[in-house]
Amino acid sequence: MKEHIVSSYENELRDLTRKVAEMGGRAERLVADSVAALLKRDTELAERVIVQDKAVDALQREIEEDSIAMIARRQPLATDLREIVSALRVAGDLERIGDLAKNTAKRALALDGEYRAQKQLRGVEHMSEIAIEQLKAVLDAYSNHDDARAIEVWKRDGEIDAIYTSLFRELLTYMMEDPRHITLCTHLLFAAKNIERIGDHATNIAETVHYLVIGEQLSDERPKSDTSSLTKMSTSR
Amino acid sequence: MNSIAVRATADDIPITREKLSIRGLSFFYGDSKALHGINLKLHERQVSALIGPSGCGKSTLLRILNRIYALYPNQRAEGEVLLDGENILRPDQDVNFLRAKVGMVFQKPTPFPMSIYENIAFGVRLYENLSRAEMDDRVEHALTKAALWEEAKDRLGTSALGLSGGQQQRLCIARTIAVKPEVILLDEPTSALDPISTAKVEDLIDELKRDFTIVIVTHNMQQAARVADRTAFLYLGNLIEEGPTSMMFNNPKDRRTLDYITGRFG
Amino acid sequence: MMSLYSRRVVRNKVWLSLSVGAAGFGLLWLVLILSTLVWNGIAGLSLSVFTEMTPPPGSAGGLLNPIVGSLIMTLIAVAIGTPIGMLAGTYMAEYGRYDRITYAIRIINDILLSAPSIIVGLFIYEILVVTMGHFSGFAGAVSLAVIVIPVVVRTTEDMLLLVPNQMREAASALGAPQWFVISRVAYRGAQAGMVTGVLLAVARISGETAPLLFTALNNQFWGVNLNAPMPSLPVVIFQFALSPYEDWQRLAWTGALIITVAVLSLSILARVLLSKGVER
Repeated sequence: MKEHIVSSYENELRDLTRKVAEMGGRAERLVADSVAALLKRDTELAERVIVQDKAVDALQREIEEDSIAMIARRQPLATDLREIVSALRVAGDLERIGDLAKNTAKRALALDGEYRAQKQLRGVEHMSEIAIEQLKAVLDAYSNHDDARAIEVWKRDGEIDAIYTSLFRELLTYMMEDPRHITLCTHLLFAAKNIERIGDHATNIAETVHYLVIGEQLSDERPKSDTSSLTKMSTSR
Repeated sequence: MNSIAVRATADDIPITREKLSIRGLSFFYGDSKALHGINLKLHERQVSALIGPSGCGKSTLLRILNRIYALYPNQRAEGEVLLDGENILRPDQDVNFLRAKVGMVFQKPTPFPMSIYENIAFGVRLYENLSRAEMDDRVEHALTKAALWEEAKDRLGTSALGLSGGQQQRLCIARTIAVKPEVILLDEPTSALDPISTAKVEDLIDELKRDFTIVIVTHNMQQAARVADRTAFLYLGNLIEEGPTSMMFNNPKDRRTLDYITGRFG
Repeated sequence: MMSLYSRRVVRNKVWLSLSVGAAGFGLLWLVLILSTLVWNGIAGLSLSVFTEMTPPPGSAGGLLNPIVGSLIMTLIAVAIGTPIGMLAGTYMAEYGRYDRITYAIRIINDILLSAPSIIVGLFIYEILVVTMGHFSGFAGAVSLAVIVIPVVVRTTEDMLLLVPNQMREAASALGAPQWFVISRVAYRGAQAGMVTGVLLAVARISGETAPLLFTALNNQFWGVNLNAPMPSLPVVIFQFALSPYEDWQRLAWTGALIITVAVLSLSILARVLLSKGVER
């Protein structure tokens, strides 16, 4: 693509996408670290996640300010407008992802000293692997303006949802079997929910990438497989 | 890919009747060809914007629609321009009558050196025999439509040259409306105006499209994006792309259009 | 650097003083002419100058008949020359702006504009005075008209060309036919300049002597018959000033003052009108 006649505009746009990429890298790291802290009982790592989330928040504010200034000063159109709107939206999603990672890290701290059974953790681990993979893929798609890759991510979100639904049932079963597991399982349930929502944000970013590249919005109907909200456990079984 | 539904972006523009239909239109200044076989349809009660870099032929195209180019020698149009199905380029077309039907407002305000009232009555008198009272009504109506009545009603007898630039331009619009045309051509109508006057004129264009077919040439892309229903992009005398304005400015199909509207040209 | 600058300052001072000197030299002569004229002319200025005929040498009299003669011939010349000049100028600026004939007319008109007026007098002498067999006020008026025409053609064309084309386009865009655009819009925009052109033409011809010598000649007596020789101020001044009689010479000075004042006020009026026209 040709460069803009106004070179400062060109630089501002490049700066903006660079910041989003940096923010993506940091958010991805936070997610990986928070899950690791939870699984490996690493409180130091958990504390580091909580502190580092502040940097992600600061980046988001910066991206927002830059974008607003560019819209006001440059009156961007077409691809440029889409680039800026996408940066805003992706930054918003990444900020939420950072918050969710921070929440997971806090739960890792809360569980310090609690007994954890390896088999109960395995489900969360598996789920987080897929979520991080999804996040990586969608950030790649964003930096490379790769619509096909984004749509792949968008379609795969059902997988995480399905795992989450089955994990939900599994953890409920543990809790009913032995009330001593309730604290652990509740925290794991929330951590799983966090990861599931990180997957949702990755899907949002995929939609944004599609809009960025093609100029059209993806429809709202996403492949939804999270049916946990409809799940009932009959206690009188 | 079946699950991906595409939201249409152009559905909100009502489909109206074709008012002007340009077919295979070429234009010559002496020996140099300024337009190369333009095909374009302009719809009734819509604002159509013509955009493009300087010298792309957008003003030339506009000046064919009321044959104002015929004032000058060595300028020649080939092809067809159908106004309600009638070719206005045919040699026996009465140009004065055509211009009464297809009004034009120019880049610089052009008030005549006479009173505000006379400026408006000027064109009306050419084709209608109105009594004093009827003419008063017509002048008031035109000035009201052009959002100038409140500012001008107490000074109708004073020279139009005493008005500010923005007021003069609205007077020119009022003068054009007073003749009751069907189409209004606007040739960069706000390029000589300050931002407030520009906003007033743009507001006026929104109002006027209820009654008239409007074609506007503008250098200001944001202006085209604000006022036009459909936008056509011309480059080097060719029509590159035409479509609903939202589509043209969000997601143009042609690389040249994209480069132009995002400021990457040249 | 400083020396470059100071050299420039010096050079500027030299050229400035040369320019001021030249301007002062020109103005000096103008003031001398005007003051001599006033000094010599004002003595003879009295009511009788405007009420009595030119006298024979040695007796009292005035300049009534040449003043009236000048007025009549000037008026007729303007009446003939203005419409022709304006129509020609209108053709050149409006209808035939891009025609080759307009370029030809413009060149010829410019030559006519600067042609010595004595040639105009000779020309009219040949075609009117010789064919009619005698000098006449009418022939004088026609020769003056020939001088008026190029002035009016030029100013009309120039003033119409100054009216912006956008104004014509705007009027045409309302559906006005060309004659309507010219008469209602172009003339209105150019009217101050066109009136100025006529006034300048009047100023120019009211001082002309040469063409009248060959056409209207002179007449010592009262007469408004256009078919007979007619007196005019410039010719009377010419004749009286060259005479050996002192009272005639005094009248010549007075006549010269009258013409000068008349021409000066016309020029000032023309300038005022023109500046008003340019303002918008």
